[in-house]
Amino acid sequence: MVKKSKSKSNTPFYAALAIIAVVGIGALAYVATRPKNVATTVEPAAVVAGEPQGYLLGKPDAPVQVIEFADFECPACAQFATLSEPDVRKRLVEPGLISYRFYDYPLAMHKNTWHASNAAACADEQGKFWEMHDQLFNEQDRWNGQATSRPKSQFQGYAKAIGLDVDKWEQCYDARKYEPRIKANEQMAIKRGASQTPTFVIGNQMVGGAISYDRFKAMVDSALVVAKNAPPAAGSGDTAKSTAVPAKGPGGQ
Amino acid sequence: MVVGMLAFIGVFVSTYLTLYKFGYIGALQCAVGSCETVNTSRWATFFGLPVAAWGLGFYVAALALVFVGIQERYADSRGVALALVALTGWGVLFSGWLTYLELFVIDAICIWCVTSAVIVLVMFAVSVLDYRDQRVAGSG
Repeated sequence: MVKKSKSKSNTPFYAALAIIAVVGIGALAYVATRPKNVATTVEPAAVVAGEPQGYLLGKPDAPVQVIEFADFECPACAQFATLSEPDVRKRLVEPGLISYRFYDYPLAMHKNTWHASNAAACADEQGKFWEMHDQLFNEQDRWNGQATSRPKSQFQGYAKAIGLDVDKWEQCYDARKYEPRIKANEQMAIKRGASQTPTFVIGNQMVGGAISYDRFKAMVDSALVVAKNAPPAAGSGDTAKSTAVPAKGPGGQ
Repeated sequence: MVVGMLAFIGVFVSTYLTLYKFGYIGALQCAVGSCETVNTSRWATFFGLPVAAWGLGFYVAALALVFVGIQERYADSRGVALALVALTGWGVLFSGWLTYLELFVIDAICIWCVTSAVIVLVMFAVSVLDYRDQRVAGSG
């Protein structure tokens, strides 16, 4: 009796699953194919030239020049920094395939991002921009606008953790001496047409969003092909740190 | 069967979050709460895999159990019903822990995570009722 009633009721069940499948697959297909991070071609000459205020990782004369426009408080930027960037550093920067330049692109919607850019610029003064960069992204949920309205104490902790002269860093932070640089970086991002954070310029391609390492690598590969047929890139006047810091695991704390 | 339908909905919710975590989609659609804050926090990864991917595995396992349960040879099996109770019970505990983290540690709510937690809770409740019904039918 039980068996009979169960087998009879299977058809509506399968029909319901079919409806759920149609709706679910349709919704996933929509979000996966939204033109959110479609690659577009940018002016190659503008990419190679670079700008004087970026933070450089790797060899400045690497065959492919990569630029990132990012906001320290943007979750997608943190996602890229913790999930994809460790592989980018280990497999692309350290072998000398790419140079990687970070430019601040602080968005108005994020309350503490300017403070974070300021903290990173002051760490750069002591040669530890990338160490501070990693701390800021790894700990983003602890200092962002939702977590606190006074992020300085968190940043101080990071300054200490990465071995900065904290007093010197604090003087720099309080003086806000690098805000003109941050502003210039922001303007450069706007000028280049970065419509979201993070936005990457890889060779002569621009792409937005927290792209996967595989996608990043595919774009570098095509840029390498272009680079083989082009004259070497000119050096830039970045605040260069030509030593790549060791890659960390995703979400490593 | 309600459990199966809920599990199938859960498959899509967790697939969505997993795709986000692996960078295949842009920003999450998040009308309420702070989905990205939650999904980029340190708690969004468990034993090296995104929590959403574990959720996907959970829902697929639950759906598989439901499919086994509706086969005629297992129609009277209390074992399958009990397995569903155990699986969804574990799901409730895990979801409860994640919700606690959202509310008291991360200080942000992800509407998709809450949706998943509600789905798991209802799955558990229905599984318990199904198991009880089977016990009554078996002893009657």
